[in-house]
Amino acid sequence: MPVGTHILTVEDDERIRQAVKLALLDEGWAVSEAANGEDALNVFTAEPTDVVLIDIMLPGIDGFEVCRSIRRRSDVPIIMVTARADTHDVVAGLEAGADDYLTKPFAPKELSARIRALLRRSRNADSGELDRITVGDLEIRPDEGVVNRGGEELHLTKTEFKLLVELASSPGKVFSREALLERVWGYDYFGDGRLVDVHIRRLRTKVEADPASPRYVVTSRGLGYKLQT
Amino acid sequence: MARRPPRTRRLGLQARVALFYALGALLFSSALAGTAFVVTRNRLVDSAAERARDQVEANAGRIRNGLEDLPPPDQREAVAEGELDTVELTLDGTFRPNRTRSLLVFEGESRSIGGVEADAVPQPLRIVVQDGSAGQIITTNADGQSLLAIGVFIAAIDAEYYELARLDELDDTLATLRNILAGSAIGTAGLGAALGAWSARRLLRPIGNVSRTAQRIAAGDLSERLDPAVDPDLARLATSFNSMVATLAERLERDSRFASDVSHELRSPLMTLTASIEVLERRQDQLPEVAGQAVELLGTDIRRFQRLVEDLLEISRADAGAASLELSPLLLSEFLEQVVATTAAPGVEISHPADADDLIISADKRRLAQIISNLVDNADKYGGGATDVGYEGRGDVVRLWVGDRGAGVPLADRARIFDRFSRAGGEAGRRATATGSGLGLSLVAEHVRLHEGRVWVDDRPDTEDGAWFVVEIPVGDVESDGEFA
Repeated sequence: MPVGTHILTVEDDERIRQAVKLALLDEGWAVSEAANGEDALNVFTAEPTDVVLIDIMLPGIDGFEVCRSIRRRSDVPIIMVTARADTHDVVAGLEAGADDYLTKPFAPKELSARIRALLRRSRNADSGELDRITVGDLEIRPDEGVVNRGGEELHLTKTEFKLLVELASSPGKVFSREALLERVWGYDYFGDGRLVDVHIRRLRTKVEADPASPRYVVTSRGLGYKLQT
Repeated sequence: MARRPPRTRRLGLQARVALFYALGALLFSSALAGTAFVVTRNRLVDSAAERARDQVEANAGRIRNGLEDLPPPDQREAVAEGELDTVELTLDGTFRPNRTRSLLVFEGESRSIGGVEADAVPQPLRIVVQDGSAGQIITTNADGQSLLAIGVFIAAIDAEYYELARLDELDDTLATLRNILAGSAIGTAGLGAALGAWSARRLLRPIGNVSRTAQRIAAGDLSERLDPAVDPDLARLATSFNSMVATLAERLERDSRFASDVSHELRSPLMTLTASIEVLERRQDQLPEVAGQAVELLGTDIRRFQRLVEDLLEISRADAGAASLELSPLLLSEFLEQVVATTAAPGVEISHPADADDLIISADKRRLAQIISNLVDNADKYGGGATDVGYEGRGDVVRLWVGDRGAGVPLADRARIFDRFSRAGGEAGRRATATGSGLGLSLVAEHVRLHEGRVWVDDRPDTEDGAWFVVEIPVGDVESDGEFA
């Protein structure tokens, strides 16, 4: 793992914070901590951060708000920690800009795997041989991490960008949610379609002229998504 | 404990009321019909008899006029063979035009008109007439037809005169009347039954409401209540029913809130435990051997504990009725491959049906994945490992199965096995396990129930030893695009 990777964990329970810190330190990463939303934003501003881990249940400014604030300033990968996997918290957290989520209690091994996948994504967004993909008035340059629509650059997060590049690697081909999870999030196990759905929705708000009736990123018979040429 | 409903020895209340009404209506209408029939028949017979009597008297008068002046037999002229004597001529003249059937007993000799034999006249009538009176009697002939026999004594010529009138027309009328009356009696009984059923249903409607409400409550909707204002007669029932449900709901909520609170509270220390034990496990080779073994034990039980807490949380959510499905369409073949790869038997071959590419269902992925992985894990713990995983479409449902080649599940345990903390295989199974939460199969049952499907355990279809767990869930609406709102 690259040296100097810096992880910010935002968690109000001190013991959990310490235990998670131990586990992350054990992976060889640098860890900074915050016990509430205000601290988190201060630390984030003060220190360079590669991945943020946020517990949704925070005193004061809640995790969603912290997530939105960070997202306004940066496309740093964010992992949300929720209490339950089947609540609206998951979708709300993803809508707030999180790239991924975990449910308490999670195994630190699981957390490390997610962090590694996110780091891979943010350091390496290239899609192989293609250095330029053009679909309609969208121009995607995977190596540079740039998307233009009608000559104007769009600001995508790493996850959104990777998602778009995946879809653009075979325009017109339908990618199932499972396939996208595996390729974009790097899960080699069963994942959660909500991750894909919410990110597709966020991607649409950026690349589509009218996100309500998408022209590029279209849903295919409930099974998955494709990039319409 | 499921209590068996009491054996039904009698008809239902509704059927009983309907039957009661029907019998009452039948009794009443047949009494009425019977009376009407008797009265009408008597009147009809009376008037027929009156008409017949008038005719008999007229005929008797004519006979008297014809024979009054007849000299005694010894002074009459002899008649030639084959010719009619005076009496016969008189009768012939009187009766030729109408086809009356009568009998004249004159001078000790019976003379029949229209083929009436002397013995066709009932004996009692003859006695009455011989005594010098007039009489009538209703009788039946050999063919079963009703006959009205009327007799008079013609004093002037010392003769008995009888007429037999057929009552055919009367019989027909009476038969029609009888049919109409019987028909209407049966109709009234039917109407009574319908009325009884209807009013019983109306009466039972509030009770039906109570039972429907109770059913909804039993199905888990504890917010259901009866409206006590609907019927003053039932207000007390409604009030006590409602307070019973409220008490029950409160208690259930307290129970499930407790389970949920406990699990929630356990999560934070568990989080600390799992994070710390992982650090320790990673450094196990740096620890003295005994400490390393202790860490291994600790790690195993912490993971088991974590599993238990997660399962308890899931179950308590289902108990609180807070669980809801998050449906999305999925291609079973792809989904199962991915899920099975994460289970205790990642290498088990999945048998795909020929139409695998068409088997797209709408299901809650997280829950369906848990169903499959719990069944596979269960086979691993108690059945020596899953050997068969497969699926097939069956119209509106898909059937999934997980089979093993263990000892199988005895018939007696097949329903109980889905209960909480009931582990299969008795002592043997219990000894074999160190990792189960004891909630795996009951979670399977909960998830399947949420999907409105069924789960059961069977013998292997190839009849060899082993258990065969089968899940059937509806295909659902796969046309929706399945994005989460």
